[in-house]
Amino acid sequence: MTMKALDIYKILPKKNCKECGDPTCLTFAMKLSQGKADPALCPYLDDNAKSVLGASTRPPIRLVKIGVGERNIVVGEEFVFFRHEKTFVHQPGILFRVEDTQPEDEIRRIVREVKNETFTRVGIDLRIDGVAIGNTSGSPEAFGKAVEIVESEADLPLVLKAASVAALDAALVHCGSYAPLIHAGDPGNVPEFAQRALKHGCPIAVRPKEFSGLAALIKQCTDAGVQDIVIDLVPADLGDFLAKSTRVRKEALARTAPEYAYPVFLETRDLGKADAGTYLGILKFASVIVTDPLSPAQKRAALTLRQNIYTDPQKPIQMTPGIYRVGNPTKDSPLLMTVNFSLTYFTLQGYLEATRIPCYLLLVDTEGLSVLTAVASGKLSEMLVRDSLKKFDVENLVSHRDLIIPGYASPLSGRIEDATGWHVLVGPRDAAEIGDYLDNLGKQ
Amino acid sequence: MTETTSSEWTGTIDQVILGATKEEGGTRSCSYRIGGESDLPLLGTVPAGIRQPLIAFELCDDLHAWPQIVRHYVGDVADDPAAWSALAGKEYGADLIRLYLTSTHKRGFSDFNAVGTTVADVLRATSLPIIIEGSNEPDIDSEVFQSCGEAGQGERLLLGTAEASRYRSIAAAALAYGHSVVAQSPIDINLAKQLNILLRETGLPHDRIVIDPYTGALGYGFEYTYSVMERIRFAALKGDSDLAMPMICSAFDSLNVKEVRDAEPDLRDDAAVQWEFAAALAAAVAGSEIVCVRHPKTIPLLKEALSALNSGVRRAGGESP
Amino acid sequence: MIPVEAAKNQGGKALGESVKTLSGSISYEETAYHLPLAFALTGTPVHTADEARTIYAKTQDNPIIAVEAIVASRETHAAPDPQFTGFIEDAVIRKLGYSLVDGSILGLALVVGTPDNRDSVASICRELQEKFMLTFLAGDVIPALSSAGIKVGLDYRLIPLGPAPDSSIHFADILARVAMMFGGVTPGDAGRLLAYAAERAKAFVIAFPGLRDEDISFIDAFRVLGVPIIAVGEYSGEGWIQSPAQDAVRTGMDLKGIKVNVTAIPIPMACSPAFEGKSIRKEEMYVEFGGGRSPAFELLRMKNLDEVTDGKVTVVGPEIGDLKEGSAVPLAILIDVAGKNMRKDYEPVLERRIHNFVNYGEGTWHVAQRDLIWVRISKEAVEKGVKIEHVGKLLASKFRMDFPQLLDAVEVTLVTDAARVTELKKEAEAIYEERDARVRGMRDKDVDTYYSCTLCQTFAPNHVCIITPERLALCGAISWLDGKIAYEISPSGANQPVEKGKEIDALRGEFEGVNRFVKKASHGEVERCSLYSVMEVPMTCCGCFEAIALMLPEVNGIMVVNREFKGMTPSGMTFSTLAGTIGGGAQTPGFAGISKGFVLSDRFLQGDGGIERLVWMPAQLKEELGERLKKKLAERGLPDLFDKIADETNATTIDELLAVLTEKNHPALTMKSLL
Repeated sequence: MTMKALDIYKILPKKNCKECGDPTCLTFAMKLSQGKADPALCPYLDDNAKSVLGASTRPPIRLVKIGVGERNIVVGEEFVFFRHEKTFVHQPGILFRVEDTQPEDEIRRIVREVKNETFTRVGIDLRIDGVAIGNTSGSPEAFGKAVEIVESEADLPLVLKAASVAALDAALVHCGSYAPLIHAGDPGNVPEFAQRALKHGCPIAVRPKEFSGLAALIKQCTDAGVQDIVIDLVPADLGDFLAKSTRVRKEALARTAPEYAYPVFLETRDLGKADAGTYLGILKFASVIVTDPLSPAQKRAALTLRQNIYTDPQKPIQMTPGIYRVGNPTKDSPLLMTVNFSLTYFTLQGYLEATRIPCYLLLVDTEGLSVLTAVASGKLSEMLVRDSLKKFDVENLVSHRDLIIPGYASPLSGRIEDATGWHVLVGPRDAAEIGDYLDNLGKQ
Repeated sequence: MTETTSSEWTGTIDQVILGATKEEGGTRSCSYRIGGESDLPLLGTVPAGIRQPLIAFELCDDLHAWPQIVRHYVGDVADDPAAWSALAGKEYGADLIRLYLTSTHKRGFSDFNAVGTTVADVLRATSLPIIIEGSNEPDIDSEVFQSCGEAGQGERLLLGTAEASRYRSIAAAALAYGHSVVAQSPIDINLAKQLNILLRETGLPHDRIVIDPYTGALGYGFEYTYSVMERIRFAALKGDSDLAMPMICSAFDSLNVKEVRDAEPDLRDDAAVQWEFAAALAAAVAGSEIVCVRHPKTIPLLKEALSALNSGVRRAGGESP
Repeated sequence: MIPVEAAKNQGGKALGESVKTLSGSISYEETAYHLPLAFALTGTPVHTADEARTIYAKTQDNPIIAVEAIVASRETHAAPDPQFTGFIEDAVIRKLGYSLVDGSILGLALVVGTPDNRDSVASICRELQEKFMLTFLAGDVIPALSSAGIKVGLDYRLIPLGPAPDSSIHFADILARVAMMFGGVTPGDAGRLLAYAAERAKAFVIAFPGLRDEDISFIDAFRVLGVPIIAVGEYSGEGWIQSPAQDAVRTGMDLKGIKVNVTAIPIPMACSPAFEGKSIRKEEMYVEFGGGRSPAFELLRMKNLDEVTDGKVTVVGPEIGDLKEGSAVPLAILIDVAGKNMRKDYEPVLERRIHNFVNYGEGTWHVAQRDLIWVRISKEAVEKGVKIEHVGKLLASKFRMDFPQLLDAVEVTLVTDAARVTELKKEAEAIYEERDARVRGMRDKDVDTYYSCTLCQTFAPNHVCIITPERLALCGAISWLDGKIAYEISPSGANQPVEKGKEIDALRGEFEGVNRFVKKASHGEVERCSLYSVMEVPMTCCGCFEAIALMLPEVNGIMVVNREFKGMTPSGMTFSTLAGTIGGGAQTPGFAGISKGFVLSDRFLQGDGGIERLVWMPAQLKEELGERLKKKLAERGLPDLFDKIADETNATTIDELLAVLTEKNHPALTMKSLL
């Protein structure tokens, strides 16, 4: 049960001592209610408060980190079932798998792809996050060698799919201090694997024979002192993963079963298809996804899907304000102004490209608000337009002084003219009509 | 944070029938029943006879605004909607045909007899159940939907697309000739609900409506659609009968996006297929009972994935999925 | 005068005799509905004379059943006459029904009898055609129309059923089939058939003279289907409404509530929301009204339907042609509206639209409201032929277009005569004052119904605002009256009525009905809601609130911070941090999203001990609310409180706030503990 801020406040010391890092107990209480603070930060909690808060305010899913450095993978601390309830927090790490039976140059090629290739969308670089190494040969030496090759090629988060303790040890020689994810503690090896995890400070995945064996396996880890765990649900196919992952997320949020309070691990080979498996994992709560290398098309689709699903619904992505070009516009080309809400931009840009009329797009900074919202809230104002025209030196871009504004911004048309001295043309309300609009304009 | 999932679902999704076999008064080789869920998508038990999600292959009778990549891949058969429909059933493996009468989108269109003929031709050429998308210009809605409706009388077509500002003609055709209606709203749960109410006020029964939340392509607004679908389905399961209808998704812009257009020529089909596949799969996971695609190669991938996704769904009466 | 009652009796007897003499098969081809009226009313297919007699007896000698069988028998055994349609097949009816549902046909009319002169029936039929009605003809009206040169046939929406008045039975069998095809009426469910016909089928009869008793008998039975009979001939009877020929169509359409929608604005000027922001500068204007140079005002008033002529526009005083370029002229814009669903309360809400509508005109410009308006017509518009009356036409059309459910008639008077404007202005000012007093006086306890708003549910799935007369929506944009009128206009829209129900707690403003509504709207997430309390089960918030009221337990008070204030507050959180936590549909005790105006309401903080709890708000907000807040506080016997409320100039941390409040002896410090 999540507690309300007011109820939490009632059991806090109310000293406003600021030792927790927050200026007031009220602020601390609000953070606790969202699972965004640790009760342990308060040195003056009485025992009752400690037990009540401990149980109810810790994040329902543990935070787990894989890898070190700037490309590490951070997952967990999710607190909703549907993204629309608030937002998903930590996007899943996606790792490409190599085998210790593959030739060295093949391994290197894949590692380089993960290291170097980025795909930029909306100003954000999207990348695959790391490499998983499979101990397909069964041999500890081969495994160790493969890990060494990977490590020599790049500093990336790793998943070690060791087939034996010896193989695991061989691998950890090369990467033990870089917090790789050990996959997996199973009923046959968990004491040893857990011990390695503890020794090296690595997170560990647990994989029971059957789903029902999860609780026992986790307990063995936590008893051994290992807390950073991810859970492999051993899915039989796509439908099975959906059902199990749904259950795990529900129970984690309801805090009804401690074995579910961990991020979910998914190996797409269990599901048969790398693309479908990766997409489903992204949609349904997987936090660590290991997949055979995806084709360029599959990779882009997966990275875009991940970006979409893990965008905070209340903080839509913004475009950088400024001038955008469609085609190769010249000094006589039309100039259109609109807001920097990414969806507005993409929609409009798509229709503009279809018209094949080269033009300039001036995106003004409405902090990501849509046209309607920006007009209604006053964020889109004649001052903003005037300042943007100046800031982006638009007067030197085009030789004419005609500015086309979105249809819903029509109430501002006169004021924009007065403030900027430009001639304002009111465009359509629906972006789909921009083609016809520009055609008609051209004919006049 | 608020708890939102619950095992106390009180609502069930309406069942809509698409297509009519000879016994049912039509000429289709099969008819489908969609909807009927009483749990989250692809979980729990559904009534016997339900088959979903279904894959609809989208084609048109005039390629002027259709993605070029489709024409490239499909070839000349794209000029003949009847032949193309037949191919879609026999070779592509679609469950349904979604015929867009794009010829009616041209300015000044008035050849309403041709509309009826095209629909009749397609109905003859393929025996799959059919979705027909009519005009997008309110001025000719009345004649176009009348022609479509009449040409498909008895076949239990799904007619598209009703919107808040223009739904009367399509509702009239559905009422007059026994079809169902695709009801589209601009990615807004309240507007979806409102439109369903307006449609019911014309006399259209609640089990002849399929909700179209309007699907943005992956990377171009898709997540808005995904979330509104989850919300619609959640509200329906919580007892809101004005939203308890099956859904249809078509990320139709997928083949026009930059990522597809800018791909290397020999990789372009792959890019197109994956872009559609990811969106369609996600739509199915969010609850869409019909997912639509335009590239033939997407269908086998989607079929396999949807079949695997259905593995956990139980059918009342112990029928296999 | 032919008394209908007597004619019915005679006619009924005559019909009974005719039924006895029927023989053989009685069957229509190309219909799935046998004899449709018999089938619809009884569920029994009739195909022979004997079956007809059985059903006639079963329905207690229903004249409609009789005539249907008689006419069917006649048509079965005789060769069809190409001049008339006789029975119309299902396929065509389906098309007609389609047009009824999709709105291309507004309703059905039957014109039957023998007209005295062909011109009256010709003009009736022309009017019906113009008003998108589908007209059925039976009897001598048909040759009368032909001789007047009027073409008949399906293409002309004038359908010649047959040469005798009893052919009008087809009018009824069409209604019955439409009900079964489209209305889901099960054959035999007479009750549903009658209900469907009365509610959905917009139909009426225009009866000319020359009807036999038998005809009167069965036409009178149409009344049971909710079809009124407009008697142009001299018939007197219940439900037979006497009317001169020229009013017959209007009477029929009014009775069945058939309205022709306004779709075009007949003026020589483009009109679109795209022109809303376009201003007309001094150099560009031809004439201006108000704006300080001359008196001008606007007023919208509700009148009775018979006091308003729809679409009428009158200009009293000089027109454009009489005015010199550049002149300043007085102006009164008087909009008289009438409608079955119109309410006096809505006057100010509709009046606000005058501003938008005038601005939609490419060559017209409007600023402000009431008696502060400033209006201009551009030179360009005048050159194109725009006159002052066209502004009136624009208003008349737009009001009808935008409020089709609310307004049945709109009449506009534009006064430019100086003396008259001055006179009328005084009256208008009295009306404005009266309205203000009414709104000021509106109390929550005076109404049983509040209104919800789900406009921002896109961003907060579980959130719903409850708007009361004394509590504006938290976005500040929607009042109780706005919600009410929005509901009237769009009953399935974002604003729904909320029955208050039993009062649970008067101080906190908790009501059973409100709780029920909130629980449903939030899918069970929120079970209770206090309208006047911040501390206990406050209303949920979306994200577009103008301000946040929150508790400060250390000083036992409540502070308010508005969106525009970017700085730190004594709570230790900024507006944006707070907004991020309490938004999204959450119910957070101790925190409430509110509109700025709500601070001035008597209900603000009522459930938490009253306005005395208010300890801090940003200085700029304090100034914005300044005079009005001071007045409110004085009214409540707290004239000193205003100065005791701290702001960022004297307190930005909780310790500073405590010090300031202590120094000023703020009442919150000594009140009951908040927690």
